[in-house]
Amino acid sequence: MSKQILIDPVTRIEGHSKITIELDDQGEVREAQFHVTQFRGFEKFCEGRPFSEMPSLTARTCGICPVSHLLASAKACDRLLAVEIPPTAAKLRRLMNLAQIVQSHALSFFHLSSPDLLFGMDGDPAERNIMGVVQAYPALAKDGIALRKFGQEIIAMLGGKRIHPAWAVPGGVSEPLQEEKREKMLAMIPEAFAIIDRTLSWYKSVLEKFQDEIGVFGNFPSMFMALVTPHDVDQHEALLEHYDGKLRFVDAAGQIVLDQVDPERYRDYIGESVETYSYLKSPYFKAAGYPNGIYRVGPLARLNIIDRCGTPRADQEWVEFRRLQPGVISSSFHQHYARLVEILYGIERIEQILSDPDILDRHIRAFAQPNKFEGIGVAEAPRGTLIHHYRIDKNGLIDWVNMIIATGHNNLAMNRSVQQVAQHYVRGTRLQEGMLNRVEAVIRCYDPCLSCSTHAIGRMPLHIQLVGPGGEILDEVKRN
Amino acid sequence: MRRVLIIGYGNPLRADDGVGWQAARRLAELRQDEFVETLALHQLTPELAEPISRADLVIFIDASHDGSPGSWKCERLVAGRTAGNSLAHHFTPASLLTYAQAIFQASPFALVISVAGASFAYREQLTPSVEKALPQVIQHVREQIARLHSKPEQTYA
Repeated sequence: MSKQILIDPVTRIEGHSKITIELDDQGEVREAQFHVTQFRGFEKFCEGRPFSEMPSLTARTCGICPVSHLLASAKACDRLLAVEIPPTAAKLRRLMNLAQIVQSHALSFFHLSSPDLLFGMDGDPAERNIMGVVQAYPALAKDGIALRKFGQEIIAMLGGKRIHPAWAVPGGVSEPLQEEKREKMLAMIPEAFAIIDRTLSWYKSVLEKFQDEIGVFGNFPSMFMALVTPHDVDQHEALLEHYDGKLRFVDAAGQIVLDQVDPERYRDYIGESVETYSYLKSPYFKAAGYPNGIYRVGPLARLNIIDRCGTPRADQEWVEFRRLQPGVISSSFHQHYARLVEILYGIERIEQILSDPDILDRHIRAFAQPNKFEGIGVAEAPRGTLIHHYRIDKNGLIDWVNMIIATGHNNLAMNRSVQQVAQHYVRGTRLQEGMLNRVEAVIRCYDPCLSCSTHAIGRMPLHIQLVGPGGEILDEVKRN
Repeated sequence: MRRVLIIGYGNPLRADDGVGWQAARRLAELRQDEFVETLALHQLTPELAEPISRADLVIFIDASHDGSPGSWKCERLVAGRTAGNSLAHHFTPASLLTYAQAIFQASPFALVISVAGASFAYREQLTPSVEKALPQVIQHVREQIARLHSKPEQTYA
C-alpha cells in the first residue's frame, strides 16, 4: 500500500509549484516529483506578432530576469536580420547582462536563501525568513539591498528603468552610454566589491555547518552545460561567458563531452520531453536519451565547465571553490557559493567594460530588414542557459517560437534532488518542519523561476498534505 | 523641504491591476518637484527600502480585489512582518517599511491607497469605473502632499 506526501506550493521561489513525495508500503520514499502547476503559453501567443516586438514582448516573461529574455530575444532577432551588431552595442548588452546576474544572484542569496543559512534548516519558520534576517542581521540585509541596487541601477541607467527595459533591439541597442552615467556606475563599484568580499568571507566561514545538506542536496553525478568563451579547442582555455560564446558539455567526471558547439545547433544535442504532472518541460541530452540525459545549468554548471573565470579576483576564488571536490562540484547546495563567485566576477567585468575606451561610442545599432526566416539567440541567464528560437514569414511576422528556459534545463535535476533529499530526511507518515524545509531548500538551490518557465500569478502560502492511497489526508500543514 | 515618495505599482498589461502604475505616471506628469519622487513599478522589490528611508511621506498606490469596482480607500500603514512566505516577487508595503526601519532606522509616515478593480484580464486599458476613480485618487495624493508641505515643522501625523 503506497502513500503520498504532497507539498503544495513551495515557498520562496518564483511562481507556483508543489512537491509530491510517494511512499512505498514500508514508508520509504519511492519517488518524488516537482510539479509546476501553472501554464503560460508564451510561445503560442507570440505567433503573428512582428518579430521586432519580440524583445519587449518576451521580456515580460519575468519580472526578475527580464534582461535575460530581452538579450536572448534581441540576439535571435539579430540573426533574423543577419547582421553583426556594432562592437560597442555588444559590450553594452554584456554590461547589462552582468548587472542582471549580480542583482538576481543577490536576490537569491541574500533575500531567499540567507534565512536558511543564518537560522539553520531547523530554525523556527516564524524567524527563518527575510524579515527575521532584517531584524537579527540588519548589516547583512543591508548588504543584500545595496548589491541588488548596484545591479538594478546599472540596468536602469542603461535601459531607462529597472524592470522590463526595452533598450536592446534587433541590431544593437537603442541608446548609447553617456559619460556621466559611466562615472556614476564606476563610482558604485568599490562598495560592491566590499560587500561581496565580506559576504564570501562570511559564507566560507559557515559552510562547514552544512555538511549534511551538502551531502544530499542534489549531490549526484550528472552532466553540466553552459556557454564558454570561443576558443581554440586545442588550447583548452574556456573562460566564463554569459552573453555570447559556444556551448560546452561536461560529464559527471568533468570530462568534456562536447566543446565549442554553435548554440544555433542546440537542437542537435538537446531534446525536449514533457510529463503529464508538470507544465515545465524536461530538456535532456539527446545522446544519453530521456530521462538519462540529465544535465544541470546555472552558476554551478558554469563554474564546473570552465578552465578559469578570466578575471583576477574571481579566478582566485574559483580555484578555492574547485578545491571543494576533485573533478566537478556535484552538490547543488554549492549553487549558493557559485553565485557569490559569479557576483565577484560580474563586478570585475563590469569595471573592465566601463573602462573600455570604446564604451561611449555612439555607433550602437545596425539597421536591416529581415534577411533570414529563422533566428536563434542564446545567452546565460542568472539561472542558466536561455534559448530563444524564432521563425518568421515573409512579412516578418512570427510563425513559430521555441524557448528553453534555464529552469527548464534543470527540471530533471530538480526532481532528482527532491527525491534525494526526501529519501534522506522523510520518515514515516508525519510531516515535520525541518524535513519539509529541506525539501523546499533543495529546490531553492536552483533558484527556479517558474514564472519564466511557465507563468505564475499569485501568492504562495505553503500547503502540505500527506495523502493515503485511498485519497485520505493522513497529515496536513499550512503556513500563510 | 520634506521629501515625498509615491510608489504606484501593478501590471499595466492586466487592466485594473495597472491602476497604481497609471496613477504614478500621471502624477509624475503633473508634478515636476524635486522633493517629490514618483515611481511607477511592476512590483515591490527589497531595494525600495532605501528610497523609502529617505522620505518623510510615502504613498503606495495599488489595485485591490476588495470592494466595488472603482471604490478606493486610503489607510495609514505601519511596519510589520507581513512578507509571509511570498518573499520572491511579492514584497508588501508593510514589509518594506520594516526593512527601512530595521536597516536604515527610518520610519516615514506611510499611506496605502487601494483601488478596487473590476477586471484583471489581459488588456492595457483600465475599466471605466476605475478610470473614473483615477482623478480622485490623484487629487487625494496631491492633497496629502500639500498637507505635508503646509506643516513643515510638525510631524505629519
